[in-house]
Amino acid sequence: MYKLLLAALTSLLLAGCSDQSWRTTDVADIMPSLDFSLVDDNGDNVQADEYLGKPTLVYFGYTFCPDVCPITLARLGDAIRQLDDETRDEIQVLFISVDPARDTPEVLKRYTNAFGPEFTGLTGDKADIDAITNRYRIAYEYGEENENGDYLVTHSSAVFAFDREGNAQFLVRDSHPITDVQADIKRLTEKS
Amino acid sequence: MANKALNVTAQRVTQRLALSALALLLTAGVAQAQTQTLEVSNARLSLLPGNTPGAGYFELYNTGDEAVTLVGAKSPAFDSVEIHVSSEHDGMAHMHELTSIEIASGERFEFAPKGHHLMFMRRVEPLNIGDDVDVVLEFSDEQQLPVTFNVVSPASM
Repeated sequence: MYKLLLAALTSLLLAGCSDQSWRTTDVADIMPSLDFSLVDDNGDNVQADEYLGKPTLVYFGYTFCPDVCPITLARLGDAIRQLDDETRDEIQVLFISVDPARDTPEVLKRYTNAFGPEFTGLTGDKADIDAITNRYRIAYEYGEENENGDYLVTHSSAVFAFDREGNAQFLVRDSHPITDVQADIKRLTEKS
Repeated sequence: MANKALNVTAQRVTQRLALSALALLLTAGVAQAQTQTLEVSNARLSLLPGNTPGAGYFELYNTGDEAVTLVGAKSPAFDSVEIHVSSEHDGMAHMHELTSIEIASGERFEFAPKGHHLMFMRRVEPLNIGDDVDVVLEFSDEQQLPVTFNVVSPASM
């Protein structure tokens, strides 16, 4: 009887482990896999499948954003750098611009370089940007131009995480504690 | 021909900088007399390479008996400075300009990442991490408060 109970408990615990969900928001069943055709920060045309093989974090923003975008990318970079070397080298971060008119490959390159080697900037035709934002049901909206021709862009604030095969896994919001983000990134790299 | 045009531009920039510096010196003198009730701490300007805009963060402490209203800011190092606030709702990051912020008597108002900040646009000359940037905070009662912002990388915040 005792043995049976122990076996039952063990299997329950094991089931619990394998069924462990992400600490951030699990989107595995509701988000489509990684797919896009864009231009990277070297000016080369790139497809999503060129980024498979490494876990990928994706953030949509624009470089004329002084506060939210750099702070989000910087905190993400910090979270990654605090992990062990093995995990750190595994992760890549894609910063996809929703402002291709201003975000040329050159502008993006200088921008993403400031955050670390794991960051890559992607831009493209508006139609190609729309294809990926529509795919993830992300809205963005341009504000009115001021007298200098400057404008602000409202954009999605979340960071999307994909596994090595490009399957959507979890989504990081501002409200998620950094320790949860780190735990999920580490688990994502351990996932085969 | 091209050199001449460049020289003229350089001269104009120098003149403009000199004028701005003079204006700053004058306003700084006035500010010292008027603004002993306002204290600014931890003023830093988060900036990336290139010409993308920067964000100014600081704490403004109103030690006076009366409320003050911040209505703007200016800096000789940038063409324009605006007061902005970032917010997030329904998974979207928004940012908009504010024309004024009232700081009550005794209040410590924090300009912090992903909240209120100064948006610094179009730098006049290249700036590096560690540089000091002169900024004047402008208030509705004509008070002008000079503040030195230290240039930092957002990656260090």
